Amino acid sequence: MIRVLAIAALLLGAAPAAVLASEGGGGLINVDKSLFIQMINFAVLLFILVKLLYKPLLAKMEERTQAIRKSLEEAQAARAEAQREREEHASRLRTAYAEAQAIRAAALKEAGEEQRKLVEAARTEAARLVESARADLAQDVRRARQELRQEVSDLAITVAERLIRKSLHDEDHRRIVADAIARVDKVN
Amino acid sequence: MRAREATARRYAKAVYDLAREGGDTDAVARELEQVAGIITGDPAVRDVLTRPWIKPGDRRAIAAAIGQKTGARKLVQDFLGLVAERGRADHLSEIVAAYRALVDAEHGQTRAQVRSAVALTDKERQELSARLERALGQRILLEEQVDATLLGGFIAQVGSLILDGSLDGQLARLRQRLARG
Repeated sequence: MIRVLAIAALLLGAAPAAVLASEGGGGLINVDKSLFIQMINFAVLLFILVKLLYKPLLAKMEERTQAIRKSLEEAQAARAEAQREREEHASRLRTAYAEAQAIRAAALKEAGEEQRKLVEAARTEAARLVESARADLAQDVRRARQELRQEVSDLAITVAERLIRKSLHDEDHRRIVADAIARVDKVN
Repeated sequence: MRAREATARRYAKAVYDLAREGGDTDAVARELEQVAGIITGDPAVRDVLTRPWIKPGDRRAIAAAIGQKTGARKLVQDFLGLVAERGRADHLSEIVAAYRALVDAEHGQTRAQVRSAVALTDKERQELSARLERALGQRILLEEQVDATLLGGFIAQVGSLILDGSLDGQLARLRQRLARG
């Protein structure tokens, strides 16, 4: 802008000098009333230029500067917002990942615990079944032994009864009765 | 069964008290045993006296008539009539047993039921009575019964006391020992 004004001032100063030179004056600038007029002219022109061209131009430039600055600030804000959103997104991702990891770890732990419980339960049940089978077997053996003893004793006593019944004579009966009577004293 | 025995004891006590007032409980016992033997030994008579559709008065008259025929005294006739009228003729055996127990208690004696494989000799009978009397401290009346199912020896029961002097008892104990191992 300053460069434009300098060029304008140079043109405005050179124009009267050129006029004076073409009129065959004595120098580039003649100090007379025309100089004064030229100065006024220059001042008016300068005023007009400043008023009509320079200030709107400055205002326009300022407006564009502001617009550009605003755009830059908006872009910067947008970039910051984008960065914030990216960080937030990344944070959410990290949180979600951590939660997923925690859920996975919990699920794995729960599954492991469940598996351990199932194995333990199966082991306990197997031990119980074995113990039950062992007890049943022992009970069966005891019962079989008892039945065998009972059968043997029944058979032995039956045979003994038959032999005794065949072999008992009257004197035997008398002796048995006498023995039994002798044992009556032992009642008390 | 206990209710039946309790009922029999009530009837026996009643007739015993009346017989004691008369002063001849033993004779009443004999007459009761005789009539009870006739009634319980004859199913037809027993049925007539126990069937509920026969009038109580008729049952009473029949029982009293049986008592009269056997020559039992008035007390026994009336008692038999009362028992039949009340529909308790089927309790007669228990009533007689309870009455006999009361008479035995009165005389300080008790009865021992003895089941033996062969009949006891007089000497054995006396010896057994003497030993039982010494052991139990009261006079013992033996009621013997020959039981052919016994192998040898005898089983005597005095009240709730059972003395097993039989070979069967010995074999049964031996059987238990063998079974126990």
